[in-house]
Amino acid sequence: MDFALLHDAFWGLTFDGLALGAIYALISLGYTLVYGVLRLINFAHSEVFMIGTFSALVASGIMGVKVEDDPRTGWNMIFTLLICLVAAMLASGITAVLVEIVAYRRLRQRGATKLATLISAIGVSISLVELFRIITDSLPREFPRIMDKTFLFSYAGADIRNDKVIVIIAAGLMMFALERFISKSRYGKGIRAVSMDENTATLMGVNINKVITVTFLAGGLMAGAAAFFYILVYENTSFKVGFFLGISAFTAAVLGGIGNLKGALFGGFVLGILETYTSAVFGTAWKAVISFLILVLVLLIKPTGLFGESIQQARV
Amino acid sequence: MKKIISAIATVALVVGTAVAVAPAANAACSGKLKIAYQGPLTGPEAALGINELNGVKFALKKFLDANKGANVDPTVYEVDDQGDPAVAGPIAPKVAAEECVVALVGPAYSGASKVSLPVYLSAGLPIITPSATNPTLPSFGKSIFHRAVLTDDYQGPAAARLIVSKNKNAKVFLVNDASDYAVGLQKTVDITLAGRVVGKDVTPTGTTDFTATIAKIKKSKATAVFYSGYFSQAAVFVKQLRDSGSKIIFASGDGTLDDQFIKLARKAAEGALLTAPAVPFETASPKLAKEMVAAGWKPGVYTTESFDAANFFLDAIKAGNTDRASINKYVSTKSHKGLSKTLKFDADGEVSGADVNGFIVKNGKLVPVSNHRLRLL
Repeated sequence: MDFALLHDAFWGLTFDGLALGAIYALISLGYTLVYGVLRLINFAHSEVFMIGTFSALVASGIMGVKVEDDPRTGWNMIFTLLICLVAAMLASGITAVLVEIVAYRRLRQRGATKLATLISAIGVSISLVELFRIITDSLPREFPRIMDKTFLFSYAGADIRNDKVIVIIAAGLMMFALERFISKSRYGKGIRAVSMDENTATLMGVNINKVITVTFLAGGLMAGAAAFFYILVYENTSFKVGFFLGISAFTAAVLGGIGNLKGALFGGFVLGILETYTSAVFGTAWKAVISFLILVLVLLIKPTGLFGESIQQARV
Repeated sequence: MKKIISAIATVALVVGTAVAVAPAANAACSGKLKIAYQGPLTGPEAALGINELNGVKFALKKFLDANKGANVDPTVYEVDDQGDPAVAGPIAPKVAAEECVVALVGPAYSGASKVSLPVYLSAGLPIITPSATNPTLPSFGKSIFHRAVLTDDYQGPAAARLIVSKNKNAKVFLVNDASDYAVGLQKTVDITLAGRVVGKDVTPTGTTDFTATIAKIKKSKATAVFYSGYFSQAAVFVKQLRDSGSKIIFASGDGTLDDQFIKLARKAAEGALLTAPAVPFETASPKLAKEMVAAGWKPGVYTTESFDAANFFLDAIKAGNTDRASINKYVSTKSHKGLSKTLKFDADGEVSGADVNGFIVKNGKLVPVSNHRLRLL
């Protein structure tokens, strides 16, 4: 155990944990939104994320970025990054909507059990992973460096790097936008209404299929953004990238209270920081052990997660 | 409904009988003899397996060109274990039950070897591994086990010496990925470096964020880091290490010695020191390397060793041995003058007269370091 390291490098670890947590939080929003509306764990969500990373990669290729190039600068860089971000968000959003239409909608309309839907979700997840395994020849892929990585400043021994700052700020903005959308817009109200009571919402004239499509789209867009930020910081992806991140993001959603937007955000950041701290104190191998132990303890004391379990409570 | 049930029953009966009368494992092969290769052919480690499979394919092609009419199947019997013990476990009995498979080149990885070797031992199937370097493997494979390279007992000290040769006062931080291979290799590096080791961390396969490990390395004031593991994760690690501003020596073993490592890590790979008990095919025989490329197979790390292993088995077949037991006896007692070295196995199936080579990444290419015969240091 190395508490001295946690003490010495506290701010550096916290900052890096926040950047990781921002990515977890963005992914976990997708789990939480779908659960809030359908009471379904969308196990294919990790693959929605994976497809986002590959789309950003393809977009960078279309933009003429080569891996051996020097990083871009100025407006050229910003434009390229934005295109990659939009490509990842669109691809993930569309994938999420397609997954819903192909794998869940028919089952739902025919009144299939929750278990059938769950198995369908796992099936979609495995098919997508295997598809990408075949396409990529099972090899990891590298993302070119579009933006040079520099240290902006140093605070109490913590080196603050530009890409991580961008991730934290941009993720925060995205979450704010989503929160506004859910609480203010017409569709947001629909989502909240369906999550409260599906039958009553239908009787009140809410088009339930549309609401569900919008829910999947919103979750997919967030996962796509997470995919772009992930590939910006870590600069690599593979067919199995969604697996570990998906589990962490799902954990974050449960930690915060699945079905609850604020919970997912909070859970993501807490888990990111927690994993970084435990890696520092106990060694990286112990990260999962300690993090999940804490999850179990939280759930023992508060089974619905830190913030309780429903989307309608997410109103500010 | 009754009809369906009776149809199912009939089918079950037929299948059951067929299974019952199927020849028992190890029965004599009635068709052509097959040479098998086992290693990762898909999955993130596939590059290494494909290097090795290409070596076996090339050896087989050359043999059949020279010996037309030999009773050997021209296609290599491919066993894809993804380098993963969990995948290798269920596959090994199927390979052992193929009576025409009389020899196996592989398994490529130590973890997969540990679960496969006992199965091949009981089936009497002789193996020569071109790359599994864990020192404990002879106890799993016993009489059927042969290894065409030196073990980690040699590679670890060689890697340690390579680091020290670059910096006499090196302080080294050790990182491993928790795989059988990585833990075994790190142990021998650790023992050789003794007082120079200033810290350790374990980053299990699948780790993507190395923040905490890098914080530890910085705090330890290490001047070098030795990463024990495979190339796909090594690339992610070294990239994050360099992005954190660290310029310390990065060293790793044969799991990282792969073109894919350089391709994935790009500039971060520059200056990386790598060791391997392997000889590059182009160094061993530029002429054959050209011929191999012309035939459509690209040589890579461990192609030479696989080529030699396959040729040793083919020698045995050419000498008139047609079953597993006699082929095993042949490779255990005779010798084969290969490209990398002369293969002559001792009682444990270990090769003698081999070297560990050192490499450095320069301008995106693997270059042998000047004193690269590290065992002779």
